[in-house]
Amino acid sequence: MIICMLTWEFPPRIVGGIARHCLGLAKALVRENSEVHVVTLDFPEAPLYEDVEGVKVHRTKVELGHPSFTTWAFLFNHFMEKKVAVLSQDVDFDIIHIHDWLTAPAGIASKHYLNKPLILTVHSMEIGRAQGLHSPDSYLIDGMEWWMIYEAKKVIVVSDSMRWELQNHFHVPQEKIAVIPNAVDVTKYQREIDRESVRRRYGVESHEKLVLFIGRLVPQKGVEYLIWAVPNIVQHSPEAKFVISGDGWSRNYLESLAVSTRHRDKIRFEGFIPDSDLAELTMSADVLVVPSVYEPFGIVALEGMAAGVPIVAGNVGGLAEIVEHDRTGVLVYSRNPESIAWGVNRVLSDPGYSRWLTQNAKKKIKENYSWETVAKRTSQVYEEACRR
Amino acid sequence: MPDEIYFLCMLHNIGATSPDKSLTLEEITRWTAMEHEKARSNIQKLIETNYVQVNSSRGVERYHVTADGIRKVLSMYS
Repeated sequence: MIICMLTWEFPPRIVGGIARHCLGLAKALVRENSEVHVVTLDFPEAPLYEDVEGVKVHRTKVELGHPSFTTWAFLFNHFMEKKVAVLSQDVDFDIIHIHDWLTAPAGIASKHYLNKPLILTVHSMEIGRAQGLHSPDSYLIDGMEWWMIYEAKKVIVVSDSMRWELQNHFHVPQEKIAVIPNAVDVTKYQREIDRESVRRRYGVESHEKLVLFIGRLVPQKGVEYLIWAVPNIVQHSPEAKFVISGDGWSRNYLESLAVSTRHRDKIRFEGFIPDSDLAELTMSADVLVVPSVYEPFGIVALEGMAAGVPIVAGNVGGLAEIVEHDRTGVLVYSRNPESIAWGVNRVLSDPGYSRWLTQNAKKKIKENYSWETVAKRTSQVYEEACRR
Repeated sequence: MPDEIYFLCMLHNIGATSPDKSLTLEEITRWTAMEHEKARSNIQKLIETNYVQVNSSRGVERYHVTADGIRKVLSMYS
């Protein structure tokens, strides 16, 4: 099967989980003998065309812009659509596959002029990301999401929680939706590292405990509740140090919140960390906290489990499906600093329990969250879409 | 969101993301409808944080968003 995959983010252009998802899925589909063309946006020093383990990556230059984000998004869709049109002169695509609303206009247009089925993966929805619809842009994006779901032959979602959201908000028929979880590339965690040296790089000495957060610094990730939990955690584990990896528009607020805990010296905001360093940092942590208040899947939790780090996660959305409480991780109440502190203290105070959690978690990852499984199930969706 | 980061997002969205697409201050103020001095002040802050790079050619300064700046912008969009 020949697939045209449209995504606004693809490594090295990484925003959140979509880039990692598209990379993992595309490589696995190639291993399944599909031909995969990823059409994405350009990025400094990344070639306009490259072959990444068999995945043909076409990066699009956007020749016209606008200060407004949504206008810019529609403009880059035009250039991506043009790229697909040029490619289709030499490549007879079987499927157009888009990820979230950001490439919907290009995908929908390509579907119609190429007369090929459109497959959509919904990673999250505006109503969840923005915790409601509060601005004209939010209403526009919500409308785009409805439109792309309507135009798609089949909609893939990454969790049962996301399926419920789609059915509840947009009344999408059950038979149109396929639930295919995300996966994780475990090989990047199967190497020897100098744990102490990695920890020292982030200001954590060997006798201290590294409490790690990885993710965008936006309200849906719940970082403020972790920060509010810091005094409680430090009271029980005075050797705890907090590393916050990631960036986002809430950063300034979170840094001032950190000051108000009176433990600012124990909290490091690292900003963006490249993937290779992030894998090492994850493997060196004593606990990975995922305090999301809205989380359609939670690929970070999977990565922590693959890295052999105990997970403390908010009992929301996809996280509640990935993490089995008291078996593969610890689930805590979201928006609840006391509960988060309880979970972190539970893990930090009992190394034997932590080891048991991580052993169970690694086994679960191996059995359920491989890219091979995801690619097989996605291929089945493609075949069904081509048949009907 | 700090003023200069909002300004960075606009710079990114209007396409000033590589040396060959860099813009003069005047072009930037036209695109963003921002006052000259405010734009200059924002650009200076962004240069100091390595989110914007300045190129000089024939006495004319042009500005574009760096790779770090692009990552910062992308992190603003949830």
